Amino acid sequence: MNQEQALLEIKNVRKSFGHVEALKGVSFNIHPGEVVGLLGDNGAGKSTLIKSIMGVHHPDSGSITFKGQEISNLSPREIRMLGIEAVPQGGAVVQFMNITRNFFLGRELQKSFGFLKVLDLAQMEKEAEKIITEVGVRVRSPRGRVSALSGGERQAISIGRVLHFQSSLILLDEPTQNLSVKETDKLLQSISEMKQHGIGVIFVTHNVYHVYRVADKFVILSRGDMLGIYRKEDSSAEKIIDIIRTGQEQPEAAQAST
Amino acid sequence: MQFKKEKFLFPSIGVIVAFLVVIAVFSVLSNRFFTLSTLGGILTITAELGTVALAVALLMISGEFDLSVGSVYATAGIFLGMLLNHGVNAFIAFLAVLALGLAIGLINGLITTKIRIPSFITTLGTMMAIRGLLLLATAGFPIAYRGHSFLLTLLNGKFAGEFRVSSIWVIVFLGLFAFLLNLTRHGNWTFAAGGNPLVANALGVQVDKVKIINFLLTASFASLAGMLSFARFKMAYPTLGEAMGLETIAAAVLGGCYLSGGYGTIVGAFFGALVISSLRVGLVLAGAPSYWYKAFIGIILILGMIINKEVMKRVLRAGR
Repeated sequence: MNQEQALLEIKNVRKSFGHVEALKGVSFNIHPGEVVGLLGDNGAGKSTLIKSIMGVHHPDSGSITFKGQEISNLSPREIRMLGIEAVPQGGAVVQFMNITRNFFLGRELQKSFGFLKVLDLAQMEKEAEKIITEVGVRVRSPRGRVSALSGGERQAISIGRVLHFQSSLILLDEPTQNLSVKETDKLLQSISEMKQHGIGVIFVTHNVYHVYRVADKFVILSRGDMLGIYRKEDSSAEKIIDIIRTGQEQPEAAQAST
Repeated sequence: MQFKKEKFLFPSIGVIVAFLVVIAVFSVLSNRFFTLSTLGGILTITAELGTVALAVALLMISGEFDLSVGSVYATAGIFLGMLLNHGVNAFIAFLAVLALGLAIGLINGLITTKIRIPSFITTLGTMMAIRGLLLLATAGFPIAYRGHSFLLTLLNGKFAGEFRVSSIWVIVFLGLFAFLLNLTRHGNWTFAAGGNPLVANALGVQVDKVKIINFLLTASFASLAGMLSFARFKMAYPTLGEAMGLETIAAAVLGGCYLSGGYGTIVGAFFGALVISSLRVGLVLAGAPSYWYKAFIGIILILGMIINKEVMKRVLRAGR
């Protein structure tokens, strides 16, 4: 039943910057609980696509619908409120701010005194501490600065946000960059957990082996074109790397060599 | 145990040390330094500089500069004087001056966020343009007001002999800005907009809106400070506040604000203004040539920054 209604439908999205065509008609769907690996070399258009879904860029043509609603002209804030959470490279955190303020950034809890709204710091600290412990970050205090955390712990804060605010789609941009082996394992495990919660995941990366462990399908871009969509059952990690490297599918060659 | 130690790592400790050094030096140099009239004098100057520095600190934390505050400050005094001389009701004149300040803030904000010109350049431009227009409009002459007005007494009248009302106002503004920065969503967004605008935007913070609001606040508080000064002298010069753009940045930075945005405190900026004002009054009392003022500020600024830097290293590694 869930398979019928796609969470996110991207149809023929095009985007140019001046003379450069960053996206030349990209289309794919993502269903609840599905993990999509978005792959491609530098300049393939991965970031432009992610930013178009986030609302930072607006496509020149084509459509992006989320749960049946057209979102390609909405602002990042409106899109986030619908339940799409983006985690930019390096984690979605502001270094100088403390853990609690980072966790609730953009979704601050407030107390109202008539027309005056004041941050409810006590409540935010309580909730942030609880969730962050749940996702496995050990911190001395929710007032600790994010600058003191490791790359993996910063990612964990972003993941904790998705679970807490019940977002239904998460966009991860190079999430394993700068992570240790252990932290990478932990992140991939969190992605599996999100999948079980029915959360859709778009995982942008250079590292095919990382994404191969958790993805259901792979969307491969090259210079703004879509090379194809490959389901995990039908393709080995090596085959996918081959496609990214050569820029084309070589089914016969791949078959012959195995 | 370690936590206790960190409590003392108040990020603005540099400015407090600088303040104590200034006080210590001048209490040796002049036996008139520790008097009520000196305190009143320092607070009066702090009020005018600090009112602007508080807003500048907020703007800097959101990642932008405003060099045009001195020009706005002078314009406010001149404009208020002109309106009062034309017999305009004092409170309508007050609102008109604030509205002019808001308009300049809006121009600074829109040029910076929508056309994406760095605010250092935007406000350098408006600083010079406004100053030039002001000199043209006044032909370089000061504007004085000889009448009496309740507004001027309310803004900056005398009380308790040595003190002026503006000292109370600046404490009220200190509370307002500290509240705004630390306890409201706008404050949270201000930190985020300056600390990492890309992440802030991805998380739904309306970065441009936050910056424009802070430009509006800065220009309107520069206008307010200009009116405090006018209320004190009943006169304004078109060359007033020429150093204010850099002095307010010095106060904010001395108080712990990052030049690149994302970090700073309001209390620190207030102390920064207090240090600069104490220096100015202290040097006069010590009978030193006024040239010393700039040299001292330069030295204090650098010393304060060295302390801040060391403290920040520790703060970023730990809590708070």
